[in-house]
Amino acid sequence: MNRRVVVTGLGVVSPIGIGIGRFSKAALEGKSGITALREFDGMPLEAYRSRVAGQILDFEPRLYMEADQAERLDRAAQFALVAAREAVADSGLSLHKEAPHRVGVIVGAGMGAMVLGEREFIKLYEGRKPQRVHPSFIPTITLNSISGILAIAHGAKGPNLTISTACSSSAHAIGQALTRIRTGQADVIITVGAEASITPLAFAGFCSLRALSTSFNDTPARASRPFDQARDGFVMGEGAGALILESLVHARRRGARIYAEVAGYAGTSEAYHMVIPQEDGCEEAVTVELAMHDAHVTSDQVDYISAHGTSTTIGDVVEIRAIRRVFKADAERLLINATKSMIGHTLGAAGAISAIASVLTIESGLLHPTVNYDDPDPACHLPGISAGVQERQVSVALVNAFGFGSNNATVVLKKYK
Amino acid sequence: MADRPLISEKIRDALAKRLNRGVSTIELHQRLREDLGLDSLAMIELLFDVEEAFDLEIPDGDFHKLGTVGSVIQYVEEKAKPSPLS
Repeated sequence: MNRRVVVTGLGVVSPIGIGIGRFSKAALEGKSGITALREFDGMPLEAYRSRVAGQILDFEPRLYMEADQAERLDRAAQFALVAAREAVADSGLSLHKEAPHRVGVIVGAGMGAMVLGEREFIKLYEGRKPQRVHPSFIPTITLNSISGILAIAHGAKGPNLTISTACSSSAHAIGQALTRIRTGQADVIITVGAEASITPLAFAGFCSLRALSTSFNDTPARASRPFDQARDGFVMGEGAGALILESLVHARRRGARIYAEVAGYAGTSEAYHMVIPQEDGCEEAVTVELAMHDAHVTSDQVDYISAHGTSTTIGDVVEIRAIRRVFKADAERLLINATKSMIGHTLGAAGAISAIASVLTIESGLLHPTVNYDDPDPACHLPGISAGVQERQVSVALVNAFGFGSNNATVVLKKYK
Repeated sequence: MADRPLISEKIRDALAKRLNRGVSTIELHQRLREDLGLDSLAMIELLFDVEEAFDLEIPDGDFHKLGTVGSVIQYVEEKAKPSPLS
């Protein structure tokens, strides 16, 4: 018999707020966290086609950690540490009292330690001094550095993994945490998505891919506009989201507050193209169907979808096509929103932050707006997308996350009953 | 004005290389997507090479003008900076 898995703690570091309270309030106000690209290590900003991003301008590492620790951690790991600490505190767990090997950490990270990585590349190639590459370069740039740091911070000696599947990374992290707890390999998993890749090289790469919005450089808050007619690419964001996943038995035994149940998950590959989704939406549809099957829910039971909704011309169309394919007439009554409209696309953190928004919706009955949804694109229109707050008691929510590399994931969340 | 035959030759060469076929099979009327089978990423990569080769910038808004081999050549001929030899 599979064990049920619930969410008992949340933490977030985002462009619209550090901490769940601020994030939740800003999200319901439809606040945009997209701003003009700030100084970029002396790069000529005008040479970047896109000059807007969901940057976390008020993150001061030394408020959260000792100076020497801040010095040794990449920005992504700093975000992860802060979000995870909030989630653990929120869960009420006293981790030192838990059997350490029953507590795991699973992290989704898209690009790795880009901030420190780029700094060291520049030092090496400009200075031609290999002996000056920093000793912490390797232990920081390895993709699993974040899950290691979190394990050390919380004494979590159970399963420790980093999942890197681009924009779907942390949706898979949630799915893998679900699987581990279900099958009895852990009681608690600190599940995190983290990303800090708004760096001169990574940002230039996304510009060259022509994946980013370029028409709103003078009006940054309008740049991320999923499903809107005027959308012209995604906006890069940064941040971290953390969820404490726990077996229901364990959570009830300690009288924990239960936010929601993680009821199912599916991960697939389209085996199609490295950056383009299969246009007919069939593969995304299969992912959604497999996840619902795993959760034992049928399409008429789903109330709400937290869309991948990146604001790219093709991606949004394919996602709505997939939703129509799965839900048929029911698609018309689904409520849908896109967190990326406010914070941009946080890549590896996106699945976790969207899941947090969905958990908050299950709790409050309020969906945050999809901001800038001013002029619905008929090619990806559904009545359940709105620029305003929507109200509904949500029993079943889906979180979609689709990544480069032909990679798809869907997570199913349920109101805990 | 850049050297017209040179522009045409360079672009057809680049396409031939990318598609791994003889340059003589690349014709001006061919559509990049439908006839030559370039997907959107391959288009972006081709135009990236074109930008570099001719030192120009192709804004996203101009993509719709670049449907065929001939239209890419014509676009570059109009935008390319004068060659120092001409």
